[in-house]
Formats: sequence, structure tokens, C-alpha cells
Amino acid sequence: MIKYWSLFLVSFKQAWNKKANLSGLLFFLFILLFIYNRLWEVIAADSFTSGLNRTFIWYLLFAEMIILSNPKIDRILFDDIISGTMAYYINKPISFFFMRYVEAVGTMSVSFFVMGGFGTLITLLFTGKPPFEWWQFPIIFIMCYLSSCINIIMYTAIGMCTLWLASIRTLAMAIERLAFTLGGAIFPLSIYPEWFINIAQWTPFYSFYYLTIKLVYDFSFSNLFHAIFLNMFWILLVGSFIALSYHKLTKRINIYGG
Amino acid sequence: MSEIIEVNQLSKKFKIKKNTSSIKNIFKPEYKTITAVDKISFNIKKGERVAFIGPNGAGKSTTIKMLSSILYPTSGSALVKGLVPWDNRQKLAYHIGTVFGQRSQLWYNLPIQDSFALMGKIYNIDEIPFKRRLAKLVKLFEIRDLLTHPTRSLSLGQRMRCEIVASLLHKPQILFLDEPTIGLDVTAKEIIRNLIRKQALEEDTTLLLTSHDTDDMEKVCERVIIINKGKIIFDNSITALRDSYLNKKYIEITTDSGEKIRKEINTDKTSAKQAIDELVQKYHVTDLTIENPPMEEIIKEIYARD
Repeated sequence: MIKYWSLFLVSFKQAWNKKANLSGLLFFLFILLFIYNRLWEVIAADSFTSGLNRTFIWYLLFAEMIILSNPKIDRILFDDIISGTMAYYINKPISFFFMRYVEAVGTMSVSFFVMGGFGTLITLLFTGKPPFEWWQFPIIFIMCYLSSCINIIMYTAIGMCTLWLASIRTLAMAIERLAFTLGGAIFPLSIYPEWFINIAQWTPFYSFYYLTIKLVYDFSFSNLFHAIFLNMFWILLVGSFIALSYHKLTKRINIYGG
Repeated sequence: MSEIIEVNQLSKKFKIKKNTSSIKNIFKPEYKTITAVDKISFNIKKGERVAFIGPNGAGKSTTIKMLSSILYPTSGSALVKGLVPWDNRQKLAYHIGTVFGQRSQLWYNLPIQDSFALMGKIYNIDEIPFKRRLAKLVKLFEIRDLLTHPTRSLSLGQRMRCEIVASLLHKPQILFLDEPTIGLDVTAKEIIRNLIRKQALEEDTTLLLTSHDTDDMEKVCERVIIINKGKIIFDNSITALRDSYLNKKYIEITTDSGEKIRKEINTDKTSAKQAIDELVQKYHVTDLTIENPPMEEIIKEIYARD
């Protein structure tokens, strides 16, 4: 495991050194939180005192931390597979996909923690206090971090679809949009009609995003374990797909010439 | 010496989709099959330095990729260090080193020493043996000044030296080099060739080197396998090749008026010195190069004699 830890550290340091990228990310997060804060102040004007605005802004912060920290591993894998780069790593004593995965987690971690620190401060300034108890904060934070790690697994699976598709851009975009709606990445699913929630429940986005972020406004240990177990189920399913595709891919590698 | 690489009737065919724009092709695509490697057989002994040469598209890179466990063959068998390469990727990885001239295994933005450290971790090399090994290779390949530079800032020749060091860190018994001198200038090529040879002799490393440059094999290897259109057409010592086919040289001079004159000599009959003396006496020479016959010509010659 030391080799993967080293790769994680290297990618973490490299992402940390990209200060311009991080500044851009924080600026975007600030604008987003600011706009939505104003929006919810207007929409939830009557119930503002009851804390609806506060709930939504904190919900949005954690959702955006997961979405914005996504290092787009699908595009990296697409390039690796199409250019043949992957082939040159498979004869090394390392799992190519796990290598790319830990590198992506390293990059994601920097964005996630920086946004987490900055976003928490800004959201506190906007809302005064969070909708959860402070002792629940580290649990929610860790759960969202794990959700970000799971998010990368899902995008790894999208990257693997390069095996069958000439371009994965459209698929990635469709999945992203589905995640926004069915995963409740912008608005909590509880504001949608019942039939919509019933459909969303059967998709991985429901557990990857919504069940985790829901802890922000509905924290309980039963919700926590529900999120953990459902996520584990989907990890197993998506992970099996990746493993099978990888096995197929290594047999189908074609590199012509030097 | 025992056999370290055994290849028996190895073939590789690629299926390529025909690029036709008919609607039928969308639903029922047509494929054409290209035979890159066609039932080749050879053995390599431990410590042997073998050049695998041929023109572009001959099948040399495909062969090296099958032996270094990157590609699955279509048929035939191969054993590298007693292991079937494509079935034992992880196990074999510790015994082989690979350098692909057109690809980099180093991290583009990392300083070279960090890339080496990562390679050390990937190959599970302990700290102290790693430092000792790195120090030895850094000295041998003269790259001390490059260690703090990121890969992206190195010249092709410098990068190639670092690539070779990276592939030797785990002390592999077999080193596969695919076009290690491609794109390099004459001086850089010479440096790389000398270093590869020196290292192989020092550590008794088995070398399999592909190239379409006949100078690479002459300077580094003792045995040559020539492959053309997927088939082996020559497998013998460099001396045998030199005696039979490399007894021809081309001397090209540039005169002070800018005119280029090319002269072919048979080294069995005329020495290079003699030919150069004649040219210098006859013309005002400003530049002079001596070249081996190109690969295509050697192959033509081999077929003609058969």
C-alpha cells in the first residue's frame, strides 16, 4: 500500500501547488453561495426565521464540495486508453486503475479540504450557524469526503466506457445532469414530488449524493448507517463493472507500431 | 548459458475496422486483418545483447510488447524468465525493465529524483538498497545535474538517460529497449549506446533492443535478428551480418561550393581511409559523413541472396 500512499501524496502536493486553480475554485464557490443565499432569502422569506435558508445553503455547500472537487478522472482515463498510455503501465507491479484512482483522490482531497475550510467560514458568515450540532460536523464532513471518493469511482466507470464508446463526453454530461437532479445536488430531494423520489431511490446518485448530504439537515445514526450500507452496495456493483471492463480491456489492447 | 527468453511460433494479428461510410458498415462493420508478427521463433540466452531490427511496420515493436506483457498474442507461445508474459504481468514486472523511446514512464511535472523515488516505491525497493542503486546508476549515466529538474524541462537525450535509469532501478535481468535512440542527434545517440552497452556488460543484463538504425545494433549488441513483414529473415551474430551485408559504406562529402557527393565503397576491397584520402585529394571537402547502408537495402540484399 506504500506505493499508493506515495502516489496519493505526490498528486496531493501537485494539486496544492496549483494556487491559481484553487483560487478560481474558491471564487466560484463564493459566487455560488452568495447568489443562492440571496435567492433563498427571497424564496424562503416567510420561513427565514425558521432556518430554511440556512438549511439549504449548508446543504448546497456540502453538495458543491463533492461536485466541484471531482477531478474528472473519466477524461484522464479516456485519454489514457485512446492514446495507449495505459498499455505502458500495465507491465509495472501496480494496478493501473488503482494508481489513477489514488492520484484522483489526492487531487480531489486538496480541493475538498480547501473548499471545506473556506466554504464553512463563508457559510457561517451568511447564515450565522449551521443546521446541525457542531459535534455532528466532523461526521458529516468525513461522510461527504467519502462520497467524493465514491464519486470518483462512478466517474472511473464512465471512463471505462471508452471501451465501447468513441466519445464519453456525452455520457459524462448526461450522468452529471442526472446526478444534479436524481442525486439532489442542487436542491434536496425532499422538495420534489413523491413519484420523483421513488424513481431517484433506484439510482446510485440517490445514495452517492443525497443520502450523505441529507445528514446536514436530518442527522441521525439510522440515516448515517443507511447511507453507508447503500453506498457500499453501489460501490460493489460499480467496482465489479470496472474490474470486468479492465479485464476485457487488457485483452483488447491494440497498439500499432512503436 | 541458459535460455532466458523462448519464443515459439508467436503471431499477432490486428483486426482493423474498414473505414467505409456506407450505412451497412454502421450495423455490420467490416474488418480487415493485419498480420504484424507471423509465427516467429527464437531463443535468447541470459546476458545476451540482441538487436531486433527491421524497417517501420516490420513487427519489432509488437514483438517486444508481447514479450514485455503488454499485448496478448493471437497464437504461439513465449516464456520470459520461465513465465508466460501476458499471464504473469505483475510477477514478470520485477524481472524486466522496459524503455519505449516514444513514451515516457516518468512523471511529466515531477523532478526526476521524485519520479525515481516513486518508481522505487512501485517496485517495493527498500530505502537503503534504493539509495545505493540510484547512486550507482546516477554515476554511471551521468545524470547528477538533472535530478532536480522536472521531466518536462529535459532534452530528449537527457530524458532518455533518465528513462533508462528508471527502468533499471529494480535491477531487472532483462531490459527491453524499443527505439531508445529515436529522434536523438548523433552525439546523443552515441552517448546512449555506450551507456546501454556499459551497463549491460557490468550487470550481465540481457538486452533486447529494437531499432531501425543499424548503428544501434553494431555499437550495443552481439547478435541481430532482422524482421520484415512479421517474419524473421536473419538471425545471426553481428559479425556474420557485417561480413555478409555490412561491407558496404556510403561516404558523403560536401565541397566548398556546397555540392554534395556520395560515394559507395566495398570495405572488403577498399578501406574507408583510402576512399576518404581519394576524395580529399580530388575535392575541397568542408564536411564528411560515413553511413551504413539503410535497413531497406540490407533486407533487399538478404532476399536477393536467398
